[in-house]
Amino acid sequence: MKAHEWMVKYTRQTEWIDRRGILIWLAEVSNGLGGGLYLVSLYFNSLWGMFISWLAVILLKGGFHFAYLGKPMRFWRMALKPGTSWLARGFIFLTLFIGFGAFQLAFSYWMPGTAFEAIFKTIAGLSVFLVVINTGFVMNYINAIPFWNSAMLPLLFLSCGILDGLALILTIGLFGGNVDIVAAERGSRLFLVINAFLITIYLWSATYMGPTGERSVRELIKGQNARVLWLGVIFFGIFIPIVISISSHFLSEVSASLLITGVVCEMVGAFSLKYSILKCALYSPLVPI
Amino acid sequence: MTRWGMVIDLRRCIGCYSCTIGCKQEHFLPPGVFWTRLLISEIGIYPRVVSHVYPVLCNHCSEAICVKACPSGATVQREDGIVNIDYDKCVGCRYCVLACPYQQRTYYSDASKGYFPGQGLTELEVFGRELSSFQSGTVVKCNFCEEKIDEGIGKGLKPGVDREATPACVNNCPTKARHFGKLDDPDSEVSILIRQRKGFQLHPEFGTNPSVYYID
Repeated sequence: MKAHEWMVKYTRQTEWIDRRGILIWLAEVSNGLGGGLYLVSLYFNSLWGMFISWLAVILLKGGFHFAYLGKPMRFWRMALKPGTSWLARGFIFLTLFIGFGAFQLAFSYWMPGTAFEAIFKTIAGLSVFLVVINTGFVMNYINAIPFWNSAMLPLLFLSCGILDGLALILTIGLFGGNVDIVAAERGSRLFLVINAFLITIYLWSATYMGPTGERSVRELIKGQNARVLWLGVIFFGIFIPIVISISSHFLSEVSASLLITGVVCEMVGAFSLKYSILKCALYSPLVPI
Repeated sequence: MTRWGMVIDLRRCIGCYSCTIGCKQEHFLPPGVFWTRLLISEIGIYPRVVSHVYPVLCNHCSEAICVKACPSGATVQREDGIVNIDYDKCVGCRYCVLACPYQQRTYYSDASKGYFPGQGLTELEVFGRELSSFQSGTVVKCNFCEEKIDEGIGKGLKPGVDREATPACVNNCPTKARHFGKLDDPDSEVSILIRQRKGFQLHPEFGTNPSVYYID
């Protein structure tokens, strides 16, 4: 965009995707991967999964967010206004997850099967659930960007997170973790369909968010970033994993390499989806056009 | 309580950028940071072309979404409606930049960047950096020249009437396209202009109730 076109034409948000904003994209992807894996690991009772996801959320999501801040040493201030700010709430949810997650991991490792473990699993699960959906609320609160101002976003991010979590737990299972691979595959199949459905509904509903929302969708489908959607999200993120998943349903046994390919493709989809959503967020012009 | 506001007469604005430059000088704004700008659009096809010039600045919305979005409490709204940033509290998350429908906030990233690249900061720039309270890594925006308003009121002056207590962009406008005053006073110049010439706000659909009005 040329300088004189800024806010005269539809203007893309750049703060959370261009230059250092790329860190926000990486943080959001880590949020989905880490949070989703934790939720799925709780279901499959995979201690490795829980531990890896807990670390991923702290080091990757927390790290990328921390690195993005202009004044990182003031990070603690982000908890000061939870009454109105979704970002402040997210910071609190993340802190709760780090704390309760640590207790839960400790109880699961040293005192498995106790009431304490069950209690901390519930609390940590609830806090990571809030961490995962919070990203959607942070974005849908911004009514200046109609493409994001959708109630579908928290749901979509949750569904994506669970799908990513299932893909990662499958990998952990393939590498010797105590995971029911058949159940993980079945879950992946289900969430691939749910995800495809939610993405379609999200994009369709965004076209009803006024001309700016419609423009964002058009930009995503036909614009400069269309390749990311069609190739990254649709082809790699949904089509190939569905083909692999269906073939694994009909064949009695699928090779580990094929499953790994499916997992990698799903990861590409996860990165592409967040990138597309951040990249195609437009503001309405301030002047008559 | 007073609510300060501005009325911009689009018929009078000639697009000379005096407001932009005046603001930059008043606040020693670094390169790339503008607290007031001109947006110029052209509609139609030659020979039937209409040009619109819109001076824009922070709207100091009464329902400011940036105040609600700010997680650290750095962005606050004074009782007189002026939305302000406490640079000592800002964490530089830029959520407010995203939330502003008018895109009137700027992330100030590099304090060492001067107007003459490769030649260091000029004496005036160094003086300006010492005088201003900006911090790199924080978000900056128009403050309605609150320091002038506060000082002027302290001296018994009337913002919008007395130059000493009036925002720099209003003072610098050679065509008197900008008017400043109390929005809640029905007899103030700004209220009369809004009433008589059907003043409008930018993007009222966002429910922010801006304090900057335009008349055409």
